[in-house]
Amino acid sequence: MRMTAAIAGGIFGLLGAAGQAFFHVIPPPAYGICIACHMRDMVNWIVAHIYPIYGLKAGGAMIIPGGPVSYNFPLLTIIGILIGAVIAASVNKEFKWKVMRVWWQKPWAEFFLGILVMISALTFGGCPVRTALKAVYLDITAIIGLIMIGVGVFVGCQVLRKLT
Amino acid sequence: MDLLPPIATIFLGLIMGYLGQRARMCFVGGMRDYYLVKDTYLLKGLFTFIVCALAGFILFQFVSPAIKTFPWFLDGSAVFAKKWAAMGVTASPSSLLPVPGDPITWSPKAWAHIILAILGGFGLGFFSCMAGGCPFRQHIMAAEGSKSAIVYLVGFALGAIIFHRFVAPLIKAILA
Repeated sequence: MRMTAAIAGGIFGLLGAAGQAFFHVIPPPAYGICIACHMRDMVNWIVAHIYPIYGLKAGGAMIIPGGPVSYNFPLLTIIGILIGAVIAASVNKEFKWKVMRVWWQKPWAEFFLGILVMISALTFGGCPVRTALKAVYLDITAIIGLIMIGVGVFVGCQVLRKLT
Repeated sequence: MDLLPPIATIFLGLIMGYLGQRARMCFVGGMRDYYLVKDTYLLKGLFTFIVCALAGFILFQFVSPAIKTFPWFLDGSAVFAKKWAAMGVTASPSSLLPVPGDPITWSPKAWAHIILAILGGFGLGFFSCMAGGCPFRQHIMAAEGSKSAIVYLVGFALGAIIFHRFVAPLIKAILA
């Protein structure tokens, strides 16, 4: 069967709801799938355990910034996604070393874009996937955020048209 | 120590990674393709995500106690009231307050959360569009061997540290 984006989106939606319902990925709510937050949890957990000063508060208690569910051991979604995608790419013979052709997607520029995307994502607590999940959880602020992502992409498209 | 969430999420991630690679799944890419070339292949993924997640939440709330706060704008205020009682804050929760997760999570100012949602959402859409895909798509491209995406992931991880070290205290100082 050919996997289309429509089918994959439906499966992701059910997985996101099931992660919270049956696999204890809570608190916070609507946390079943998130790329930026789970990456943040993992990075903060590792850094705070290598350099304890990073996670220490004034009283001496260890505070790891991130979701409370990741306090004892971080969520490993990122590792799973990377392994799953490597398996899919190598099974279907699509693995190839490559670099983007346009100048603002060369590696040096993508480094700064990655920092900026992470900062804007954490500013309101979620990557596009979790924003959609929060909007479905009927959080009105997240619905505003999802609309603003659409506006941001629209402005980005106008800039892309000028650049290319 | 509850190890179920990490073990469950690694398998969720495996399924997502495999399907995402096969389907070229990307939410920001879906909006971008629609604006630029009127192609709805990826946008359908966003719509089915929303429909299936909504169906999932509505169905699972009858079998699982973890979704007792499901319509957040109705039931979420109880969570805030409980937390504020512990913190000594006296305020009446608004239905606009978001799911916990942003840097000023327990602040009673609904307008501050909305400002963060507008700024963050706009930046997220704009920079993701320039980078050529949402964070999920960049992980998939890194696994396919794109050097740009691998460097993006390094910046992505570093961004989390920069955010919690410098940006979050700034936001708290201005808005909280």
